[in-house]
Amino acid sequence: MNNNKEQVVITVLGANKPGILAGITRTIADSNVNVEDVSQKIMQDLFALMMMTDFSAANCSFEEFQNRMQTMGDQLQVKVFIQHEDVFRYQHRL
Amino acid sequence: MLFSLEEVIETISAVGVETFDIRTISCGVNIMSCADSDVHKCAEKVYEKVIKVARDLVPTARILEKKYGIPIVNKRISVTPVSILANAFTEPTAVPIAIALDNAAKELGIDYIAGFGALIQKGFTRGDQILLNSIPDALCSTDRVCSSVNIGSSQSGINMDGVFRMAEIVKEAAERSSATNGLACAKLVVFCNAVEDNPFIAGSFLGPGEAEAILNIGLSGPGVVRAALAGSHNLNFGELSELIKKVSFKITRTGELVGREASRMMGIPFGIIDLSLAPTPAKGDSISDILELMGLERTGCHGTTAALAMLNDAVKKGGMMAATYAGGLSGAFIPVTEDAGMCRAIEDGALNIQKLEAMTCVCSVGLDMVAIPGDTPVDVIAGIIADEAAIGMINHKTTACRLIPVPGMKAGDIVDFGGLLGKGPVMEVGRHSPSVFVRRGGRIPPPVHSMKN
Repeated sequence: MNNNKEQVVITVLGANKPGILAGITRTIADSNVNVEDVSQKIMQDLFALMMMTDFSAANCSFEEFQNRMQTMGDQLQVKVFIQHEDVFRYQHRL
Repeated sequence: MLFSLEEVIETISAVGVETFDIRTISCGVNIMSCADSDVHKCAEKVYEKVIKVARDLVPTARILEKKYGIPIVNKRISVTPVSILANAFTEPTAVPIAIALDNAAKELGIDYIAGFGALIQKGFTRGDQILLNSIPDALCSTDRVCSSVNIGSSQSGINMDGVFRMAEIVKEAAERSSATNGLACAKLVVFCNAVEDNPFIAGSFLGPGEAEAILNIGLSGPGVVRAALAGSHNLNFGELSELIKKVSFKITRTGELVGREASRMMGIPFGIIDLSLAPTPAKGDSISDILELMGLERTGCHGTTAALAMLNDAVKKGGMMAATYAGGLSGAFIPVTEDAGMCRAIEDGALNIQKLEAMTCVCSVGLDMVAIPGDTPVDVIAGIIADEAAIGMINHKTTACRLIPVPGMKAGDIVDFGGLLGKGPVMEVGRHSPSVFVRRGGRIPPPVHSMKN
């Protein structure tokens, strides 16, 4: 197990349409961020995607990654949230 | 998957929809090493020390905002009560220290810097006198400096000479900042039982018992509690309390994460999380709205004190488990102009200053951001401060007054302080005079600490 992992949660919310998953994962791959787990649902016509990723081998800074993902989100007209997993761990796990 | 989609969306919507944020990350800086009999030399040392210790505060907060997706609204600094340094000043003024603090805050991009204050619960030192005399000048010649003075405690009683002097200072500060509706008073708090680790403005300072430097966290979160209570009409009190505790746990936990990480990055110890619900003027980010969702037609109606007591207690119980060290003021804040729901309750005639005073018996922190008529006599202001201090003294809790006698305004007028300080109605105060009482001089003796009825 890689103990130097830097786990980052990517959440995408927006109106469902073709190409969202493709666009998002392309940007993730281009940044050399590794997807470890994916959960996706359509919730009341809302496209909701969450990915657990490992950021430790990324080819850019965290901020630059957020900017790249933001740009892709804007193109796809969806909201993209990039957050360190600790914020969810602290809130939802004892 | 480590987390469910629902959990992740809950966290995201707390920020995006329910206005959750870390209200403040406050860095305490001990400035006692800056002592000098020359106030100007002392001011230079204070500036340099604050810059040196808190240099990384704003950059660190910005990194953490991005990393966790949680806004950190204010970055603040508190310092040792300046009156302690003022004891050594040859020249009887502490204003240059306030200007140095203001300059340091601006240089670092800090929102407010606090600690231009004194602890006079039992009496005045020469330094206290110098500091007190400098307050109106200091607040009117700086933008970001906040002042607080502790005039009473459960151990010492209430220094009524201090109360009266502070009433004069409040009045003077208001008149001298009449162009901004008495804004200087929004940066001035009079405390009873002040705490040494409060991260909230304007009453923050680094107590003499604190470490060389410390990081404290203050939370916001009324909007999150409000959202959780939205469908709670059928819950009984036990269930309602459980619901509030759970929400409080989650928002406090986020503060704990930010505090720990900021501490690690800056190499400054993490002090405390203040388990408070701090409202903002933003729609829905209101303590009053929570009280009304609990079943009150309007905040201020009979039952409000009980509802607030329960809310306050549940917030603490939930937050306590989430925080390694809880401290500060820890309770629901009810600053009037900063809470749109409070202002509406006043305008509807449901809430008056007497009921507000009763509410301060069960929550933090006192008559906070209360605009009163500009022609309110000093004696009446002293009476209001004394009453509030008595509540704190007898109940072993912190109470405070942040009163703004708005020059030229009368009860019912609307005053706008801008930004987080908000806008709201000027409240009516009692017409009868406590003049003889508040001018007796001396100190109200501390209460007996047994036979607690």
